[in-house]
Amino acid sequence: MRLLTMTGAAAALMATTALAQDVAREDTVIFDLDRTISDPGNFNWFTDGTGVRRLQGAHQTMWEPLFILNYGTGELEPWLASGSEQNEDATEFTVTLREGVTWSDGETFDADDVVFTVNMALENEEITAREAATLREQVASVEKVDDLTVRFTLTDANPRFLVENFGVRIFGSFLIMPEHVWAGEDPATFTFPEPIGTGPYTFESAATNRAIWTRNDDWWGAATGFADLPAPQRVIFLETGGEESRAQLMAANELDAAQSVGVGTFEAIRAQNPNVIAWYADYPYAAADPCARQLEINTTVAPWDDPRMRRAVAHIIDRNQIVNVAYEGTTEPSRTMFAQFGSMDPFISAVEEAGYGLSPTADVEAGQALLEEAGWTRDGDYYAKDGETLSVAIHVNSASQEYVRTIDVIVEQLQRAGIDARAVPVENGVFWGEVLPFGAYEMSYSWLSCGSVNEPWASMGRYTTDTVVPVGERTPGFNNTARWSGEGAEAYTAIMADMEGRALGDPEVPAMVAEAYQYLDAEMPFIPLVQAAKLVPFNTTYWTGWPTADNEYNHPFHWWNHTHQILQNLEKAE
Amino acid sequence: MTDKSTDVTPPHADGDLRAPATREERRAAKRARRFENPWMNPKLYWGAGLLLGIVALGLLGRLFWDMDSVFTGANLLKLPPVGFENLRGQAGTFANPLGTDGAGRDMVALLSLGAPNTLYVGLLASLIGMSLGIALGFTAGFVGGRVDDVIRVLSDVMITIPPLLILVVVQSVFGDVSLTLMALLIAGFVWQSPTRLIRAQVLSMREAGYVQMARLSGASTPHIMFREMLPNLVPYLFGSFIASVTTSIVTAVGLEVLGLGPQRVPTLGRTIYEAIDAGALIQNLWWWWGLPTLLLIVMFLGLLLVNLGLDEVSNPRLRKL
Repeated sequence: MRLLTMTGAAAALMATTALAQDVAREDTVIFDLDRTISDPGNFNWFTDGTGVRRLQGAHQTMWEPLFILNYGTGELEPWLASGSEQNEDATEFTVTLREGVTWSDGETFDADDVVFTVNMALENEEITAREAATLREQVASVEKVDDLTVRFTLTDANPRFLVENFGVRIFGSFLIMPEHVWAGEDPATFTFPEPIGTGPYTFESAATNRAIWTRNDDWWGAATGFADLPAPQRVIFLETGGEESRAQLMAANELDAAQSVGVGTFEAIRAQNPNVIAWYADYPYAAADPCARQLEINTTVAPWDDPRMRRAVAHIIDRNQIVNVAYEGTTEPSRTMFAQFGSMDPFISAVEEAGYGLSPTADVEAGQALLEEAGWTRDGDYYAKDGETLSVAIHVNSASQEYVRTIDVIVEQLQRAGIDARAVPVENGVFWGEVLPFGAYEMSYSWLSCGSVNEPWASMGRYTTDTVVPVGERTPGFNNTARWSGEGAEAYTAIMADMEGRALGDPEVPAMVAEAYQYLDAEMPFIPLVQAAKLVPFNTTYWTGWPTADNEYNHPFHWWNHTHQILQNLEKAE
Repeated sequence: MTDKSTDVTPPHADGDLRAPATREERRAAKRARRFENPWMNPKLYWGAGLLLGIVALGLLGRLFWDMDSVFTGANLLKLPPVGFENLRGQAGTFANPLGTDGAGRDMVALLSLGAPNTLYVGLLASLIGMSLGIALGFTAGFVGGRVDDVIRVLSDVMITIPPLLILVVVQSVFGDVSLTLMALLIAGFVWQSPTRLIRAQVLSMREAGYVQMARLSGASTPHIMFREMLPNLVPYLFGSFIASVTTSIVTAVGLEVLGLGPQRVPTLGRTIYEAIDAGALIQNLWWWWGLPTLLLIVMFLGLLLVNLGLDEVSNPRLRKL
């Protein structure tokens, strides 16, 4: 499969250069795309569960967020918005918009667009994108105060409302659409065939393996003095299809920013092309990813609906081996479900002190004891019960070596312990669009508890029982995709409801985290594996100013909505 | 002078005079023997030797090497073969004499399991395909009429369908397949050629005297087909069999290199797929993709030689005197 895409990418590159002849290579910046644009003419991000209608360049170049969370400073920096206010109990938020913002067709961007788009998400249940689903859960109503002011009234107190919904905390943000184009259209079916945005680039063309964006020299940001016009005249997002082709294109200067690669591959690229850099100048090179990796379990599928079985798997997994084999030592085992950022320390320690921390090594005997307790007996290589072999299929996104390798290691560990595990590789779009949200898996590898960066609720709050839907129905916003329910889950949800309204830095929160964690520990609706590190290579042959540890204006994940900042910082290489 | 003459002349003069004569004689005798017994064919020997070498690799590996080191994470990653260094500057060790792959699997174990597996798929697929082809070909040729029409059209249609295309789709749907299932799937695409070939031969043989004789003496159809006619086709079938083994292996390896086929069972094609997928080319991990490629070359060379040898066995004109 990969080979097909690889030759495809090479052919596409030739085609792109032919198309883009009027813009020189040194004025073009080429980003790597890790998935196929299954429907290149469709720009309705609301109905796209895979994210590909945004990360093909749309939300990096054309659609701008209201705020951008700066991962270095922890501050929420205004972009389309200019500021915000909230009432004392965090149930009402007032956002001020920047003056002079225009859509690329010349129309003014104002409060009407925001109110229109938010109402569209509130009123249309068919809208399934994670950001829209989250917003629908939290917002009771939205109103226009004046042309540049919008007020949100929430259903419950939520001090994190802005960063969660409009601040590019993880991957994307709720994107505002132009009212004058979308009015009267059905948001469930409208494809937005001639997409416009407020951003410094406009849409040029797209095919299944690439999207091209051209600079709009009349961009509002430059006109109002908010920011300079970005230096690249053209931005290309190109599907390279795999580690080898990604590496070869990088070495040959045909790519300026790649998706993450293994440490060996990175060293090999650098041996051939010393202009290629990453987050750190030296080993381990990679930047910490806020989404800790975990083994997702569908808790409705037998025999994994038995918490003992899930705990058994948790005991059998050797996290150190995953770090060594799948990550070549560039990350560390997870101690809890949380990303191991300094700001998360109080919560991680609270969980560990309560005795729910995870071991970096395996305890296979303990795992096997649990299997036997659940009535399985070892018969030759595998455990069996009532003549049925204990087996499990683990769906894995085939887009990255990291994912595939991790599951290879886990499959091996489970096989050794007597569980007939096998990996089911799935294409990126299918994985996010069909497998995960609909619960069409037994186990899977992902990061669905991702969210917490400086407080625990964003991650923990994703496993409450109110988002449980039957298998075959779409989980709203990928929350509780494990479909975890029952007494433990109810008790957990009750604690979460209390925690949700607590302000940042509330001294009672760590104890609440520990209390709630007992249910996660006892029932294991998912198994935290390792911290994630992304080794994202950047090429300085044509462009400098990439985000690095020494130049930390933000993190380097150029498939996120904050890439506007990266484009702002790029400078032509001398 | 005397030294020189005693040194050089006596034995050499003798040998030079006599050797060509005897060598010539010996060669002639050998050729004559070969002509009488066509199975004593060096190409056949060499080819069979290479193929047996692959089988021996599997057997010896299982006997003398730790097969558990074929598992993910069993060894250090990306170690080079003995005598080489990888990009990190690590030298090869005798614990993994042919190095390890990117997941820490030992290459010796990987190859000694993978090479026989690849051969197995090819042999099984073409064994099934051939049996099917023989049965259908004979039936079509001998029975004729409507039966012949159906079989002929079916095989003519099937021969136009590119097998890889169908198999890619089928295997993507199946996800993980076993070696045997993969062989069965491939077998569905290697029966057409033998069917057509045998049908043609049977058609021409049907009118031969001995067949007419058998028919007149009241022999049953299966008896005539399999007892009277089949033995005459044996060299033909052998050649056809080897050709379809080659086709089957090419198809199997093609699927494996695309990442389809069995996932946890080592095969040569899958090893190559994993190497390319993990960026082995740019990391200069040549042993990871190079050694399985070398073994594939050996395997195909063996099959080619056996095929050429069998050709000479069945066709005396190819045997040079």
